[in-house]
Amino acid sequence: MRTLIISVSLLVPAFAQMPSGLKNSIDQACLACHSGKAPRGGLDFTSLSFDLGDRATRERWIHIHDRVEKREMPPKGVVLAPADRSALLGQLAPLLRQADLADVAKNGRGPMRRLNRDEYEQNLRDILQLSHLDIRDMLPEDREAHHFNKASESLDMSRVQLTAYLDASEAALRQAMVTTPAPPAVTRFRTFGRNLFPALRSTGTLHSMFFIKDNKGVNVADERSTPLPKELEEDPALEMGLFRSPGWPYGAFPRGFAAKYAGDYRVRFSARAVLQHPGFVVSDAKQAVPMTFRSRRPTNHDIAEDVKSVGGILEIQPGAKVYETTVALLAGQTVEYGLLGLPVPQVDAEGKSGSYRFPPFPPGGQPGVAFNWIEIEGPIPPSAWPPPSHHVLFDDLGVSPNPAQPKQEASRLLRRFMQLAAVGPVPEKAGRMFEQLVFARLDRKEPFADAMLAGYQAFLCSDLFLYMREPTDNFTIADRLSHFLTNSRPDPKLLNSQLRDPATLHRETDRLIDSPGFDRFVKNFTGYWLNLRQLRKDDPDKRLYPEYQLDEYLVDSLERQTLAFFTAMVRDNLPVRNLVDADFIYLNERLARHYQLDPVLGSAIRKVALPEGSPLGGLLTQGAILKITANGTSTSPVLRGAWIMDRILGDPPPPPPPGVPAVEPDIRGARTIRDLLAMHTKSSTCASCHAKFDPVGLALENFDVMGHWRTHYRGTAEGERVSGIDHTGHDFSYTVAGAVDASGTLVDGRRFRDIRDLKAMFASDSRQLARNLLHQFTVYATGTPVRFSDRVEVEKMLDACAADGYRTRDLMQALVHSKVFLGELK
Amino acid sequence: MTKAPHIAARPLPRRSFLRGAGVTLALPMLECMSPLFAQPAAAPRRMLIVANNLGVLPKLFFPQAAGRDYELSPYLTALSEFRTDFTVFSGLSHPGVTGGHSADNCLLTAARGAFKSGFRNSISFDQFAAEKLGQVTRFPTLNLGINIDKGNRSLSWTRDGVLLPAEDSAPKLYERMFVQGGKEEVAEQIHRLQGRGSILDVLMDETRRFSRQLGADDKARLDQYVTSVREVEERLQTARAWELKPKPVATQPPPADIQDKKLFFEKFDLMLSMAQLALESDSTRIVTLMADAFVTPVFKLNEKENSTETYHGLTHHGQAHEKIRQLQEVDQRQMTLLNKTLAGLASRKENGERLLDRTMVLYGSSMGDANIHDNTNLPILLAGGGFKHGQHIVFKRDNNAPLCNLYVSMMQRMGIDAAAFASSSGRISDLEMT
Repeated sequence: MRTLIISVSLLVPAFAQMPSGLKNSIDQACLACHSGKAPRGGLDFTSLSFDLGDRATRERWIHIHDRVEKREMPPKGVVLAPADRSALLGQLAPLLRQADLADVAKNGRGPMRRLNRDEYEQNLRDILQLSHLDIRDMLPEDREAHHFNKASESLDMSRVQLTAYLDASEAALRQAMVTTPAPPAVTRFRTFGRNLFPALRSTGTLHSMFFIKDNKGVNVADERSTPLPKELEEDPALEMGLFRSPGWPYGAFPRGFAAKYAGDYRVRFSARAVLQHPGFVVSDAKQAVPMTFRSRRPTNHDIAEDVKSVGGILEIQPGAKVYETTVALLAGQTVEYGLLGLPVPQVDAEGKSGSYRFPPFPPGGQPGVAFNWIEIEGPIPPSAWPPPSHHVLFDDLGVSPNPAQPKQEASRLLRRFMQLAAVGPVPEKAGRMFEQLVFARLDRKEPFADAMLAGYQAFLCSDLFLYMREPTDNFTIADRLSHFLTNSRPDPKLLNSQLRDPATLHRETDRLIDSPGFDRFVKNFTGYWLNLRQLRKDDPDKRLYPEYQLDEYLVDSLERQTLAFFTAMVRDNLPVRNLVDADFIYLNERLARHYQLDPVLGSAIRKVALPEGSPLGGLLTQGAILKITANGTSTSPVLRGAWIMDRILGDPPPPPPPGVPAVEPDIRGARTIRDLLAMHTKSSTCASCHAKFDPVGLALENFDVMGHWRTHYRGTAEGERVSGIDHTGHDFSYTVAGAVDASGTLVDGRRFRDIRDLKAMFASDSRQLARNLLHQFTVYATGTPVRFSDRVEVEKMLDACAADGYRTRDLMQALVHSKVFLGELK
Repeated sequence: MTKAPHIAARPLPRRSFLRGAGVTLALPMLECMSPLFAQPAAAPRRMLIVANNLGVLPKLFFPQAAGRDYELSPYLTALSEFRTDFTVFSGLSHPGVTGGHSADNCLLTAARGAFKSGFRNSISFDQFAAEKLGQVTRFPTLNLGINIDKGNRSLSWTRDGVLLPAEDSAPKLYERMFVQGGKEEVAEQIHRLQGRGSILDVLMDETRRFSRQLGADDKARLDQYVTSVREVEERLQTARAWELKPKPVATQPPPADIQDKKLFFEKFDLMLSMAQLALESDSTRIVTLMADAFVTPVFKLNEKENSTETYHGLTHHGQAHEKIRQLQEVDQRQMTLLNKTLAGLASRKENGERLLDRTMVLYGSSMGDANIHDNTNLPILLAGGGFKHGQHIVFKRDNNAPLCNLYVSMMQRMGIDAAAFASSSGRISDLEMT
């Protein structure tokens, strides 16, 4: 085989050099259309090179192979007997594989790849022991390829990129070093009474916020901010009642506090969940109200990048209790109260200018939280001074290091740092280069610390640090494994493990999956694979979906649902069929309402069994996925169908072939979505692809833009009208339009009544679901998508996992133990 | 109005400083910024390239008749005031560049095959021109964006075909252009830049050592790294010199940022004003601005309504009347913004000449007809910059002329000695310089 490939010279037409059997097959099946003056799709077999050693040519032939294998070619109407098809593929595939393997042997399976910005930040956090280090946004956003920010081919380097690494590493090192003899002084702030809020009123009418004494609002006569009576201002019994969620303009934080230094702050406060009744009367609530704090500057203006949720979600119970949490603040920031899932009164743009309206109370009263006092203490000093980050740089030389023998110490510290920061030994010659840099600065009488930092910075911007290479030894396997499963560098235990021993590799893989760092895998992997990072990109149309306006609690819960689900897929080693079909769901009280399931208490996400026959369960019916695939405004079976085929089933719609004249779609007259889709079948050009994914999307028509079950569409003109006031205080009015029909027929002729049937059909092909997941894992873990020569390996992995129903953790283990992941290790 | 007590009565004074005639600088424009490096005495030429990756409705954009006496198309009537200051082209595109939205990144590069796996872009026109021009201003180019997917889309690409991310924050841009550090800060910055030089030397040496052991694929990746190190090093020298030079002074406060992607036009307006500011202050000679309509969600169409779907969704109008109505409004608003920019540049004078006459304003798109993902017959308009304008120059609709020919004409107008760029076959001969 090898000789054959080498003997084929460049630019020699296929037919001259192809093995005769293959030539005959192609002659029979393809040549009628793909030759002559106007070959179909611009593909002419009589002039196509067969130099499979050339990558572009090989790609072309792989594409041909795949289209024949998927029975897309020859097209309908041209008969190719099954035996002829397998004969054709049987001859072509080994040649392609051989040529691909030769390329792998010569150049490696994939090129080295640069760390992306998430990895770079996490690496520096781990090395410098700065868990809150925030340098990601100093680096340019990484390009995406094959769905991920992990593909070598798209992780480019430019002067802009390199300058950003120089800036970011410098900033990180400066943060790691301390210059003061003692930690920043701890401030202890406590406030109560009128100072629990920066003003006497909040935005969005008095119902949003008022002060409470003995369960009655004080100073509630009108909307103007008349000062409180002096004795009330500092009355320890006064409570601040808050009945809205954040939404610009907002600004709800205690008066008089701003963090002097960045760091962790302990927040303690006394609060109770209450219900507001007409006339500003409150009573104890029936159930908890969830809240979080938001770190922000104490100004009026919401600056989006500035506001972060901190300290986790707290469930405020009825009856006054003391709560405590820890929040990370930057210098100048304060904590803002962020109640979840409450009204967000907004200026009514359509109504009279600038008027706010608080929406009608729900039956039983408007939930909210009454705060009695709050304490903020910090920054919480590190366990030692100088802190661990400083020790990483200067060992125990202390603050402002100035050793007696600077070069000797510099040499020692630099090597110590490189050993810590590098994965594997740094070549002595390279080490000396960084050393010379430090020495030159010392010679110029630069301060010792500055000289050291320059050496560290150079190392953190060098190719040694920035690039990951194909595995060649224990260290490089560890590097790949930990970046796969924790998005960061290997920890010492992993680095010291004999990963070439399968049992050790298995154990270490399990350990990483069960470690807290695995959350980063789930977040990053689903962020790209499922596009979860774009969950907040579009907002539902406010005319059609008033109930979702500014409901960040819902969106946040949906995100946590999908993250919890995928975490469980791996950690609980669930069969891959659960991706599309499961008899359980992850939810909290908000989602139980959203999905119309039995109520549960609290905001924490937990696993719940689904009732018999429920359409829910699995990814496809999760609100996050349905929102991402809906463009926010309106649902589109086309987009949803294409998305599922691409991401879940691993059969992406191909781009329109070049040379096919663009057909201008004309959708005038299409009134329903079914009319529209029917038009796709009229033209054979459209139909050949759309038939594959339009029906799949149709099955999801029972789910609106947020994944709520619907039996009818909503409209603005025809049908029964529904009007009211939404929880932003705006009037809404939509109509209940046509009934949803979610039945359809797949391209292979199988019919389904609704999503339940379709899920069962997808679940029955576990192997394909598993194959797709392995493909996604492969590019994510190795930076190179599954190559032609990897396909055999992938099938072997699948075989190994088949008996147990292709369980997710098993699939990961299989990949990690494969040649694709480990390289050609002897 | 119910006034929120601790909230300013009005939202942020967004862009108020940029509204109206434009920004006045404290020092006489341009006089204060005699170039750092010796350069030809000729009046400086500038260019502003504005692109929207979903284009416009072609029927309403292109005029019917060719030549000088053509009747303005519905869209071009918005620019009627500047009729003799612009030329509109039909029948231009990049030969062989197909792939619908994937060609977004190729408007200034003319690279083919963006839809294929393993595609690599080539150098963009602005970067090519900047290389030829040398660093005569603080920023060789400024690459701006509106709603842009920064990681994946850009008009500007390096020689290695690497994406140069766009700046989409007006305050950050303002800071880079105008905010002058104190004496100490400047000294510190100079010190840092000096330190960087020696760090880069080490990186270069280390790379040489490393590259000896690499295969071809790895080597290609490392070459990018080497190029990057070298380019940063080359720019250090000039960066240091610019650091010593005072920044131009703006009398206005920094602009408020617009981050809400729904405010597409507001952001467009803001970034055009920033572009004008950059050119007026001679912070750069070349500005690119990409409006990433493709990722723009449902947006504010006008004071009264939001679009019924995403920008991208609208462009696949399928002749539906309602979508076309909205698109038309979208397109027209952009033409109005373009008109405002031309007016802004025309109102400024440099040595008695209108700034517009020294600034080529190119408006275009990589999409000829977004409804059908057509990358031919691109909507292209060139205003100002010192050409004999006022024409509709027509090339064949079914056999387009290379758009790069226009880029060659523009470079020559800038005084750059370049006879070719990418797929050019010459320059546009009908477009004469004044």
